[in-house]
Amino acid sequence: MRDVDNAEKLSLARSEESVQGQKRVVERLQQLEGERDALRLELWRLKRKPSGVIGYGLLVSGVTALVLSISFSSSILAFIGLGLTFWGVLLLYIRPVRYVKATLLDSSAVSSLVAISRVITDLNYAGKGIYLPPRYLKEFKSSSIFVPSESTLVIPPVEDVSHGKVFLEDPKGLLLTPSGLDLANLYEKELGMDFVKTDLNYLRNNLPKVFIESLEIAEDLEINSGNEVVCVRIIGSVYQELCREARKLPRICNSFGCPLCSSIAVALTRAIGKPIIIERTEINSDGKTIETCFRTL
Amino acid sequence: MTFPLTFWDISLWLGITAIILLATAELISPYSGKTNIIIEKRKMRRAALLAGIMSMMTVIARIYGIIITS
Repeated sequence: MRDVDNAEKLSLARSEESVQGQKRVVERLQQLEGERDALRLELWRLKRKPSGVIGYGLLVSGVTALVLSISFSSSILAFIGLGLTFWGVLLLYIRPVRYVKATLLDSSAVSSLVAISRVITDLNYAGKGIYLPPRYLKEFKSSSIFVPSESTLVIPPVEDVSHGKVFLEDPKGLLLTPSGLDLANLYEKELGMDFVKTDLNYLRNNLPKVFIESLEIAEDLEINSGNEVVCVRIIGSVYQELCREARKLPRICNSFGCPLCSSIAVALTRAIGKPIIIERTEINSDGKTIETCFRTL
Repeated sequence: MTFPLTFWDISLWLGITAIILLATAELISPYSGKTNIIIEKRKMRRAALLAGIMSMMTVIARIYGIIITS
């Protein structure tokens, strides 16, 4: 009888303990949820752009000071008002439209490069990617890269390319859209000029301006050309991390090309009007300088 | 109830502002390697040039006034 009582007491104690344990868990959960909400608010506060609020604040206080300066006939207030209004308007005017972090850029592009690398590796296509000039294509704004199955550099006939097939039989290979096509179209849009109507000299003189000033892709860009070889040196590029990731993938860096090298290849093939391959890509030990050499065929 | 600043006060203010803006625009130019400053640098340069031109116009007006009166 006593044993039964003890067992009941033990069971009651255990259930009480269990209930208390559950209560503690719920309390802890509520505390953690509160902390999470507070952190989320803090993160939101840190992430939002304060320049807009500051701009409007300066503008309102500036206009107020100007109005007061007229009422009190105070030139000091007028100077303060002019200054605040001007800097308020300026802050609102020069506010960035939308900037994204470079890590986001890399993360969104790597997966598609991995997929292309896997396709080319699985098909066991050994040839270097050949960037085809616009005369092979229906539209000047499009572009194609032909990856031959053999390591010999063969160019497919114009008819096959213009049909838009992905898998070609004679010569055997893969016809893909370059990863830097839209980037190259953006360079044209920024310059207000179709590269088809230009030459290598035009690119040498104007592409650095787009890279450094307009799009701020890199800190510096140099284009040097030799005998059928064009070498492009890019310093301090926002794509340097992506380029480093692309180097780890088989058959991408020196064949298909990362978006940046690919965009330059597309621009070159449009300007020169000849098929182009990426001969080699090198990154300096400091990781800031990317040098890519292209060869015309 | 009149605006307390004269044309020459505004000319002086414009001149100082233009110098500050032009120097800033030059310092934050991508050619100086400062590509990590998140503002519209092209618009900043445009505003600096506008302030500079306005300042120069007030100076020209002043010179013209001196020539006419002398």
